[in-house]
Amino acid sequence: MSMALDTLTSPIILFFALGLLAALARSEMTVPEAFAKGLAIYLMMAIGLKGGVEMAANPLTGEVIRAFGAGIVLSFVLPLVAFMALRLTSKIDRVDAAASAAHYGSISIVTFVAATEVVQAVGLMPGGHLVAVAAVMETPAIITALLLASQAGARKNVAGSQQGELFREVMLNASVVVLVGALIVGWIIGPEGFEPTKPFFVASFQGVLCLFLLDMGLSAGRGLRQGWRQLDAGAVTFGLYMPLISAGFASALCWVLALQPGDAALLITLAASASYIAVPAAMRLALPRAKPAIYLTLSLGVTFPFNLTFGIPLYLAMGQWVGA
Amino acid sequence: MKLYEKHRLEIILERMAADRAGRVLEGAGVSGYTVLPALAGYGGSTKWRRDADISATRDMVVIVAIADRAEIDAALDQLQDLLADHIGVLNVSTVQVMRPDLF
Repeated sequence: MSMALDTLTSPIILFFALGLLAALARSEMTVPEAFAKGLAIYLMMAIGLKGGVEMAANPLTGEVIRAFGAGIVLSFVLPLVAFMALRLTSKIDRVDAAASAAHYGSISIVTFVAATEVVQAVGLMPGGHLVAVAAVMETPAIITALLLASQAGARKNVAGSQQGELFREVMLNASVVVLVGALIVGWIIGPEGFEPTKPFFVASFQGVLCLFLLDMGLSAGRGLRQGWRQLDAGAVTFGLYMPLISAGFASALCWVLALQPGDAALLITLAASASYIAVPAAMRLALPRAKPAIYLTLSLGVTFPFNLTFGIPLYLAMGQWVGA
Repeated sequence: MKLYEKHRLEIILERMAADRAGRVLEGAGVSGYTVLPALAGYGGSTKWRRDADISATRDMVVIVAIADRAEIDAALDQLQDLLADHIGVLNVSTVQVMRPDLF
């Protein structure tokens, strides 16, 4: 209980809540678009670098390989579960359900960052390789969703489509390039090479995260205001229970694979999180008939706030429970 | 001053489909077009604004092209296909231009 309270009263969550409430109250406050993009690049670089540096300092163990395998399996399988759950419990049609399901197999890097802060605050030291696991979990879910949509006959080449455009969007979007690129840079430079950049990437990290989460709160609140009419009660409920189902699947895998508690907590968080950057862009290209107001409102307006406030303490407890 | 008649194609389109629309226009022989960011709007019972989601996938743009009617017509069939799936609206109007050789 005290862990949950600590999470809820941490500066990053309080700034997120400020942004969310301001947007819901129709405040005109905005974080300038270019500045927000700069913050996102900073955060990706910082976590990529830190993850790469930690990977350079630690050997590639069986646990690391198992974590990668678990991440890929979860990202492929969870969209199937999400798709069935949505079709059973809401009025969302097959194409929208497939597009939404992709978001729940992919990940939210901000939820991951917030969970990392919480996990480290309780003294657990997750491996740097979890950043790479997060990166590899972005994509498989999109493949599963496209297969689901193909069965519904929803896939076709729209006029002006170009071969390879979806691949470029999925594999070379800004977040993947910066995150994976920084991870490789961190791995090459190692702890000594990282030292001169520490004041910028470590000391300022929490403050920048607060700013970014203020913007995320504004985004989530405005997304909710714009899109809530598109969601029925079943869909909103899905946005709250699906992270718990995903966390359950991930917990079972962590237990079977005997992952460390810190790694388990973060893998559970990754599984429970839903994408709102990489997958929406991919879905606009691959499944333009699917309504963004549904899948973005679900992932950004419902699941993201839930995970950030109530989910992370729960996933941490689950990680500690199933971790070896 | 002498002005010349041309046709102006304007598409208000979701940002993610702008490259596709651009390729259609280029394929139809339109010699140039301009893409402008759209700030906010209302349609389909929904108000939208460009800072509403971090992915920017719901951002809209305005594509403006000026060309001869034949080139515009050549693009319209494919643009209709594009707009059957992607979010957007299109209009064509007659305009007067000063330097017709540019279009």
